[in-house]
Amino acid sequence: MITVTHLSKVYGSFKAVDDLSFIVGPGEVVGLIGPNGAGKTSTLRCLVGIQAPSAGSVTIDGHDIVTDSVAAKQQVAFMADEPNLFEYLTVMEHLRLTARIYRVGDIEDKARTLLQELQLTGKEKSLPSVLSRGMKQKVAIACGLLHDPKALLFDEPLTGLDPLGIRHMKETIVRRGLAGAAVIVSSHLLHLVEEICTRILIIDRGVKVADGTMADLEAHAEAAGSNLEQIFLKVTSRDGSPSA
Amino acid sequence: MTRAFVYLTVCGLVNRMRVRVRRLREPRYLAGLTVGVLYFYFVLFSRPGGSRGHVSAAGIKALAGFAGPLIALASVVLFVVVAIAWVWPSSSKAIAFTRAEVQFLFPAPLTRHQLLHYKLIRSQTASLLGSLILTVFVRPGTFISAWTVITGIWLVFGILNLHFTGVALARESLTEHGVSGLRRQWLPITVIVAAAGVIAMTLIRDGPRLSSLATGRQVLGELGRALTTGAAGWALWPTRAIVRLPLATSTVEYWRALPAVLGLLALNYIWVMRSDAAFEEASAEQSEKVVRGRLAPRPARVTVVSTPFSLAPRGGVETAILWKNLILLGRYASLRTLWRLVPLVIFFAAVASGSRRTGLISILSLMALGGVGLIVLLGPQIVRNDLRQDLGHLALLKTWPVRSAALIRGEVLAPAAVLTGLAWVFVIASVLLVTRVPSNAAGLATVVLNRVSYGIAALLIAPAIVVVQLIIQNGLAVLFPAWAVIGATRSRGVDVMGQRLLMQAGIWLTLLVSIVPAVLMAGVLGFVIYLATGVLPIIAPAALGSAVMLAEAFLATEALGRALDRTDVGSLEPTD
Repeated sequence: MITVTHLSKVYGSFKAVDDLSFIVGPGEVVGLIGPNGAGKTSTLRCLVGIQAPSAGSVTIDGHDIVTDSVAAKQQVAFMADEPNLFEYLTVMEHLRLTARIYRVGDIEDKARTLLQELQLTGKEKSLPSVLSRGMKQKVAIACGLLHDPKALLFDEPLTGLDPLGIRHMKETIVRRGLAGAAVIVSSHLLHLVEEICTRILIIDRGVKVADGTMADLEAHAEAAGSNLEQIFLKVTSRDGSPSA
Repeated sequence: MTRAFVYLTVCGLVNRMRVRVRRLREPRYLAGLTVGVLYFYFVLFSRPGGSRGHVSAAGIKALAGFAGPLIALASVVLFVVVAIAWVWPSSSKAIAFTRAEVQFLFPAPLTRHQLLHYKLIRSQTASLLGSLILTVFVRPGTFISAWTVITGIWLVFGILNLHFTGVALARESLTEHGVSGLRRQWLPITVIVAAAGVIAMTLIRDGPRLSSLATGRQVLGELGRALTTGAAGWALWPTRAIVRLPLATSTVEYWRALPAVLGLLALNYIWVMRSDAAFEEASAEQSEKVVRGRLAPRPARVTVVSTPFSLAPRGGVETAILWKNLILLGRYASLRTLWRLVPLVIFFAAVASGSRRTGLISILSLMALGGVGLIVLLGPQIVRNDLRQDLGHLALLKTWPVRSAALIRGEVLAPAAVLTGLAWVFVIASVLLVTRVPSNAAGLATVVLNRVSYGIAALLIAPAIVVVQLIIQNGLAVLFPAWAVIGATRSRGVDVMGQRLLMQAGIWLTLLVSIVPAVLMAGVLGFVIYLATGVLPIIAPAALGSAVMLAEAFLATEALGRALDRTDVGSLEPTD
C-alpha cells in the first residue's frame, strides 16, 4: 500500500507539489495524470525516495520513505520515463546486480521468466548500447519487477515500445495489479490510463483536482458519458481554455 | 559552406562565453573564476628569486645543454602518442560529432569532405586555446619567443588532430572492410610498424651499453645520440621535426624548422582527405551512406568480457558495487591493462639483478619511486570508477534499498583495489631497484632488511592513503555535486579551473588533517617499542597508522552517507 499524506515539494520559491494526499491500496492501479509541469514526476520521485519531501510523508507498505528508507525501498519499484541503465553492464548483469541489491537470492529461473514476459529472450548478453530505446525500457522494467515489489510506479511506461510491446506492457501492469501490488501509472496517454487503471488521480499545479473511478470523475466534472480526455480538459482548464 | 561552418563555430563560442559570464552571478562560479584568475596571475607574474615573467638566462642556458636529448625524448613521446592512437580505441573520438551536429548537419546536403573540414575548423579553437595555456606555463622571455611557442604548439596540435582524424578513419576502414581496408591503409600502417620496430631494435641493441653507464646524465646523452642517428634517427625524424618547432630557442631555428612541419601538416591533410576518396570513387552513393554512418556519434565500442568474479546471489551490497565498478573498468579500460605491467616488473627485476651501480638503474629506481608517488597521490583523481562516475545514475541509486554509507563504501572499493594493486607493483619495483647495495655482507643485510622493511611499510600505508583520498574525492562529489565532474565529460574554463583548484586545496587539507591522528598514534607506538627494545620499528607503526586512517575513512562514510541522503538529484547539472 502507498500512503501519501500532505506531501509538498518545493524548489526554491516554486511549489511543485502542494499538500497532496492519497492512498493506493493493494490491487489498485491508479493513473496519475496532469498537464506538463503539474508535479507528476516530482510526486513519483518523492514516493520512491529520489527526492526528499519538503513537507508531509510517504509510506510504502507501512515504512516511511525518509525515516525507514531501506525497508520502504525494498518494497517499491520505480520505472522512470527514461531508462537509466549502466552502459557497461549486460542485460543479465543488470538483473544479477538488482537481485543482489534487493536480496532476491537465486534469480536464474525468475530472470528467464521475466525476460520471456518482456520479449528480451536472447538479449541476456547484450549491452544497452546495442538495444533500442524500447528494449532498454523493458530491461529497466525487468529489473523493477525482479523483487516482486508491493508498490509499482510507472512513469510513461509505453514510451518507445512497439505495438506488441505496448500490449505486453499493459498486460504486465494489469497482472501486477491483479496479483495485489499497489500500482501508479503516470502517463499522458489518456486512453491507456482509461483502459488499465481502476482509479484516476488528476493533479494540476501540484494540487489534486480530481480523484476516483471514471464514474466518480464524470460526476465530479459534471460530464456524464464523457471520456477521460474530455474530463481531463474540463478539470484542468483555466479561464475556459486547457492549461499548457 | 565554409562561411556557414565558421558562423556556427563563432556563434557557439560567443554563446558559450555569454553563458559563462551570466553564470558568474552564482557565487560558486565567481569564487572559481577569482581563484582561477589569481592562479594565472601568480603563474605569469610571480616567480621565486624576484625576476618576473620569463625564464632566466641561466635557466635557458642550463636547458640548452640538454636540448639534444630533450628533443630526442620529446620525439619519442610524440611517437608513442601517435602509435597509441593506432591501437587505442578511444582515439576515434577525433571524428565524433555531437548529437546536435548530427541532427542538423548530417541530413543537410553536405559532402563528407565538408563535414571533415567543419570538424577541423572546430578543433582549431581548442588547439589555439591549448597552445595559449601551454605558452603561459612555459613563460617564454620575449614576445617574439612567445609568438613562436604559441604558433609552434598550435601547429603541433593541428598535425596531431589531423593525424588522429586519419587514424580514426583508418581504424574504421580496417574494422569495416577487413583486408580491403588494410589494402587502402597499408602505407601508414607499414610506416608506423616499421618505425616502431626500428626504435625497439635500437633500444635493445644499445640496452647493455646504456645499462653500463655510470650516471643518469650519461644515459640521457647516450639515449639522445642513439635516437637521433642511424635508422632510429630516420624513424623518429617526423616527430623530431615537429617537436623542434615549439622547442626552438631562436627565431632562426623556428624558421628553419617550419617548412618540415608545414610539409607534415600538408601530408596529414592529404592523407585524411584521400583516406575516403578511394571509397567515393568505388561507389559515391554507398560511400556517402558509409561515411555518414561512420561519422555519426556512436557509443564507445565495448567488448563484453567475462566479469572479474562471479557475483554470489547473497552477500554485502559493497561487494555487488565493487563487482559492478570492476566491470566498468574492465569494459572500458580492460583489466588486461594490469597484465601489461607484468613485463614492466619483470624488466625491473631483470635490470635489478643483472646490473648494479649503473646510471640506468638509478633512473629506473627514480621512475619506480615516482610511480608510487603518482599512483598514491594522483591516482584517486584519475581512476574514477566510483560514485563520481555514478553521479549520473544518482536517481537510480537513490531508489536502491541500501544504506547510503554502504553505497559509498562499495563505490570506492573498485578504484581502491586497482590503485592499491598498481601501487604495490611499483613499491616492489622500488624495493628491487632503489639504492646501491654495499659490497660487504653485513652492509648488504642491513640495506636489504631496511629496504624490505620500508617496502612492507609502504605496502601497508599505500592503500590507506588511497582509500582516504577516494573517500575525500567522493565526499566532495556528495557535498558539492554541482562542482563534481559527472561521468566522462569535463567542463572547461578559468572558473571551472578555479573550482578545481579550490577542490584540490580542500582535498590536500583534508588529507593532511586525516593523516595527523595516524602519525601521532604510529609515533607513540614506535616510541614505546623503541623504549622497550632499543630498536626503531617501521612496520608496526605503519600498520597502526594504516589502520587508523582506514577507521577514519569508515567513519567518514557514515557521515557522508547522511549527506548523500540529503543530496538533491536536481543539484547535479550536466557539464557543457
